[in-house]
Amino acid sequence: MLIEQSKIKTIKYIRFIVALLLLLLVIGTWLIPVGWIAATSFKPRTSIFTVPPTLVFKPILNHYARALRFLGIVASIRNSLVIALTTTLITLLVAVPAGYAYARFRFKFREQLSFFTLFTQMAPPISLLIPFFVILHKLKMFDTYIGMITIHLTLLIPFSIWLMITYFQDLPHELEEAALIDGASPFTTFIYVMLPQVAGGIAVTGILAFIASWNEFLYASILTGRKVQTVPVAIFSFLTTEETLWGPFAATGTMIMIPVIIVVLIAQRHIIRGLTFGAIK
Amino acid sequence: MEQRVRISRQNGKTNYDDGESTTSPRHRGVKRERPRWTKQQEHFAWKMVSPSIAFLVIIFAFPLVYLLVTSTHQFDLTKPWKNAWIGFNNYFAILGDGRFWHSLQLTAFYTTATVFLQVIIGLGLALALSKVEIGRGIVRTAVLFSMVLSPVVTGLTWRTLLLTPRFGLLDYIAVQLGIGSHSWLGDPQLALLSVIAMHTWQWTPFAFLVFFAALAALPQEPLEAAKIDGAGARQCFWFITLPLLRPSIVIVIVIRTMIALRAFAAIFSATGGGPGTATEILNLYTYRASFTALNIGYGAALATVLLLITTGISFLFLRIRVSRR
Repeated sequence: MLIEQSKIKTIKYIRFIVALLLLLLVIGTWLIPVGWIAATSFKPRTSIFTVPPTLVFKPILNHYARALRFLGIVASIRNSLVIALTTTLITLLVAVPAGYAYARFRFKFREQLSFFTLFTQMAPPISLLIPFFVILHKLKMFDTYIGMITIHLTLLIPFSIWLMITYFQDLPHELEEAALIDGASPFTTFIYVMLPQVAGGIAVTGILAFIASWNEFLYASILTGRKVQTVPVAIFSFLTTEETLWGPFAATGTMIMIPVIIVVLIAQRHIIRGLTFGAIK
Repeated sequence: MEQRVRISRQNGKTNYDDGESTTSPRHRGVKRERPRWTKQQEHFAWKMVSPSIAFLVIIFAFPLVYLLVTSTHQFDLTKPWKNAWIGFNNYFAILGDGRFWHSLQLTAFYTTATVFLQVIIGLGLALALSKVEIGRGIVRTAVLFSMVLSPVVTGLTWRTLLLTPRFGLLDYIAVQLGIGSHSWLGDPQLALLSVIAMHTWQWTPFAFLVFFAALAALPQEPLEAAKIDGAGARQCFWFITLPLLRPSIVIVIVIRTMIALRAFAAIFSATGGGPGTATEILNLYTYRASFTALNIGYGAALATVLLLITTGISFLFLRIRVSRR
């Protein structure tokens, strides 16, 4: 009996160790590549190209200085910020009311309209690249903030509407019923009763919209020129030349990651829910 | 409760005529005049959605029409003197285009392989880690980064820091494991596998997180009952855990397929579709035909075909999801 128990204990112990190792493996698999970019950005050139790859080096900031000084990265970071922030703001202004209406009201053509919104969400972005390219040129909006922001909105508005619908659907109907009995108009109810309740959802939608716009590459690569080039496009210039500028590339990559990583660390639980479209509560 | 839900579905989200139209037989079939209040609500809802609709019509529906019109034209920036309306000739050309069929095959393979791998690896890891008490928060945060990282940075990082022969981190690990150093993105077959591995790395966390949460929320009673009845671990998994997880698995497959079909930036920055056309999925072929070969008319036709395929599959999958629930 005693032997049996100690055996069970050993099995449990081994299982625990295996699980722990697996845990470390998972964390390593997904964290090391990200950390590697950051580490490389601080490495002297001689330490970047070593066999085996090394983590022992004297950290330097030369790559950041080089990236910021020579290749218009500062301007592209500013462009990315302007575009991402404006896009996020407009997206929320348009998508939050629409999400509320789809989630709570019945009105004419509701099914058709929500189908249309879903369709815009599913269309692969590249399919509209040609019309956007030609139309922006014709309207003289090529390589301008307003042009790029408008195009980014096509990506973000449908997505944000669908996300907001899931948040509004979670709220109890009693909220509106109570407001109705107190004589509040639908609009007052929306502003003063519903909005505070979905503040978290709005924040997550805003964060994800910001990340999507900040990271977007396809449209930015074709529809911007020198003037409003965004960082994801600018970062290419380090690697298209014959010379491989791994250092400045890693430095710029790290700068692209920083805002996203900060946001993720602050709001990780909520973001998981948003990323999975409410599949996880 | 059930009835109330039904009523509120019929009348939007209000139940002001509780017991009128549904409980009293006398009122059935009587055409009631719609109260002013309902109209007011409808007006309100319309005002709420109209900005988004107006916007999407201008910026989506109008360009879509433009795309369809362009696709029936010969519109080649390298031969502008030949531009003309040519009907469906671009589409006929697609049917005889070997490169198109090749890219279609690649898209099918790429999408199936990545989604399959994500589900299998995500499920495996979630099951293995579901019993571990410590470090759950750390794991959840750690796996999140690959999903929010800019796809361009991901693609370029794989191309340079991870997969470069001799100096790349993954290449070094491959050498240590006895696989040896390879030109991971230079060899056509390896390039496709590398790109699939990259996409899997990027998005397995999605599957993992969904399954991880689903497992934590699983009811314990069926499992306990099965154990009392003498079911083994394997039986418990196949006949209880897996069926209970089915809704999550379906959601993951649906959402991941939809996103895999839109994949562009990561592959583009890792291989650019090459070497040759080894990783040229439909998205990349459309891009190259339009903006590298500058044959806009043909590119528009390709884009239309791509649009039809992608939205068709997406709606099919959504329908499956709805009916399975």
